[in-house]
Amino acid sequence: MVSVAFINPLSDEGKSLVRELGAFEGVRSDNNELIHIVTESRSQEISDDAFIPRSYLDLAVKRIEWYAKKKNDRKFDNNQYEFLFNPEIYKFDLIAYFLLCQAVGVKSGPNSRESRVLVESQGKIIEYRLGKLVKSERNEIVNNILNSLLSSSTHKWTFFEDLISSKKLKLQDMILDKGEIILDRDDFLDRFSSKIKGRKPEKMYEALIGDRVKELVMIKMVMQNTEDYIQKVSEKSDREIEPNPILLELADKISEVLVSSVQSYGFGGGSRGGSIKASALNPKAFPPCVKKVMEGMKSGGRNDAIIMFLTPFVSYARLYPSVFSENITKQISDIDPALSVVQNEVLPLIFGAAERCTPPLFEDQPQDKVNLNAKLGFGMHENVELKYEGETTWYTPMSCEKIKLHLPSLCKPDEHCKKIGNPLSYYNRMVWIIRKESKKSASNEKASKNEE
Amino acid sequence: MVKIEYLTPATPKERKQYYKEEWNIKQVPDFVTHSIQEREFGFDHVGRGPNDRYKVFKTPDLLKRFLKVRTPFAAYCSVAFYDKPRRRDGWNKAELVFDVDAKDIPIRTCNCEGVCEICLNEAREIVCGIIDTLKGDLGLSNIHVIYSGRGYHVRVLDNDVMGVDSDVRSQIVKYLVGADAPENEYSLDFEKVSYEHFVIPFGYPKVFTERVKYSILHLNDKTELEDVNKKLLKDVLKYRELIKTNEWGLFKNKIGPQRYKKVVNGIASLNMSLVDAKVSIDLKRILRLPSSLHSMVSMKCTEVKNIETFDPFKEAVPKFVYERNK
Repeated sequence: MVSVAFINPLSDEGKSLVRELGAFEGVRSDNNELIHIVTESRSQEISDDAFIPRSYLDLAVKRIEWYAKKKNDRKFDNNQYEFLFNPEIYKFDLIAYFLLCQAVGVKSGPNSRESRVLVESQGKIIEYRLGKLVKSERNEIVNNILNSLLSSSTHKWTFFEDLISSKKLKLQDMILDKGEIILDRDDFLDRFSSKIKGRKPEKMYEALIGDRVKELVMIKMVMQNTEDYIQKVSEKSDREIEPNPILLELADKISEVLVSSVQSYGFGGGSRGGSIKASALNPKAFPPCVKKVMEGMKSGGRNDAIIMFLTPFVSYARLYPSVFSENITKQISDIDPALSVVQNEVLPLIFGAAERCTPPLFEDQPQDKVNLNAKLGFGMHENVELKYEGETTWYTPMSCEKIKLHLPSLCKPDEHCKKIGNPLSYYNRMVWIIRKESKKSASNEKASKNEE
Repeated sequence: MVKIEYLTPATPKERKQYYKEEWNIKQVPDFVTHSIQEREFGFDHVGRGPNDRYKVFKTPDLLKRFLKVRTPFAAYCSVAFYDKPRRRDGWNKAELVFDVDAKDIPIRTCNCEGVCEICLNEAREIVCGIIDTLKGDLGLSNIHVIYSGRGYHVRVLDNDVMGVDSDVRSQIVKYLVGADAPENEYSLDFEKVSYEHFVIPFGYPKVFTERVKYSILHLNDKTELEDVNKKLLKDVLKYRELIKTNEWGLFKNKIGPQRYKKVVNGIASLNMSLVDAKVSIDLKRILRLPSSLHSMVSMKCTEVKNIETFDPFKEAVPKFVYERNK
């Protein structure tokens, strides 16, 4: 059977192996045993030296690179990374995993993009590794790990609070009964067999819970534990004076991998075609929810729709459309130093929509202008002025999920909405599509003129 | 029973009469008075919203004196428990709350402008469903229902959930209201099996089935459902008797499987408005103080002892309203 540490590096087995093997000396040096395992891995592409990690540090970077490329590179070739799924690599992989967590914890912190990517990559790696095992071995190892992660056979759903909060698990996907999440087959049959009519309870268990949900819970728990470990490292490093330079070097390399994938493949923001530049707004590219608010709202949802929803959307779409892919906090004056775009383009658009509400928003509630300015980062003041900037935060646009909660009547999705999770991503995507189509029609026109 | 047209705004004199003669500190539920020092109170003195906030009371007696002297237009207290409620600082936990406002229910059979007996009763039915799920699925038990004056507040004080963040609360809301149609195809090793939500008598599929049933039985020919045209709506109304007797399979056959999918998806997106989710995810919300007067509609904000039989027009009308008609 494969090592438990190969699937769950934070298991007792994993931790004791790390204690045995872990030392910073030699993590940069070529390791012949590692190179041998890599080159002997089944289906491994070895035509280029760059495909072969030669040290622990290389292996750590390859782990992240695999995930970033797999997610975004259309020419991605998994054969270049087959070694990651070879169980023989588990000892090296374990050290690489701990190096990554520590590097991200020390340098980037738990709320960084690096941390998010590392946690997500760990989840995907486990999925792929389990996928390569035969069913019996796969079930055995999942049950083993799950038993060690869950101390008893029944669990209150609140035990998974962190997983639910971080949306790793959806409450709706679990089977709940009297406050407990049902995972065990016998428990399921005891509780529900008598209620199920015309279907086989055993088969229903396999479909609704079975190995699928158990695996899901196990993977998400390992991901959550990875996140918690990064958090712990980060807290500890705040108290220590000097982090190990190797960790800082690795953290820089991780950031480089992510930056290069942004540049090459548009990683992270759901955007396409590289970075998105601030430019004049194109109302044709607005998502249905924004179009609806622009037409004016009736009393009730007016306030939230204009202040909480439209103001952040319009300001970011006009000034900083790449906020989610860049993931860097900015103030409006970083982009619009004289605030002329805000005054001449952003505010008139918002005031226009407010005017079209019934009754007009600011006529009815003039004090809300102050709230609007606050959402742009200019504190609770009557006017947008540089001296007030920073008193409040420039609110980022609400996600689709938040809109469904706060303003459910606004969400009337069209076919493009399925591919995005935030109206701003919709806008960026549509701007890109419109631009592409107009380029295409321009070149067609040119070609037909040439033919004439 | 009092007629709704008598429930006009209370005059300052009536407010005074209510707090001096009818209101009693013992009407404030224990779940508030026992934690009075940890809660923030807010008041609306003139009917323009709760502007007088960050108030704290060390004892129920001090709250009593305040209300008797100031006789506010409206009184509120926080769902949150703080170390320093005067500054809303040191947040420790917050009740898990659900606000069902009769006028905002997405499917109402009355079509009235504000609220009426019919939609208030529909709000009550929704609350009953929510409580069943809170108990049966989520295993919660410390649940209080408050009639707010225009609907209901469900306030949960189980310690297990009072510390959870907004993201968990939003998932709970979605679960309770049936905001997403459950999957209906599942992969087994060598086959795919299909289980519609209505054949699964437990968990979220059961909750969803109950919410869809409620909505279908309350639809009328003017209801707008996303992606459901007039013809489909007409067919749903024609065959909905089958749902009353839980003959879901037959109903689905009559409607057609693709069109059935459209109907349940349409209802799912409407369900999100069954409760005001903003209230549930707000960890520092202030809610109307149980026992206080809702001056706009001249009704008492009252703790409901038995939601199955509660009638606001009998149990939440202050004495001064009866005197108006003499």
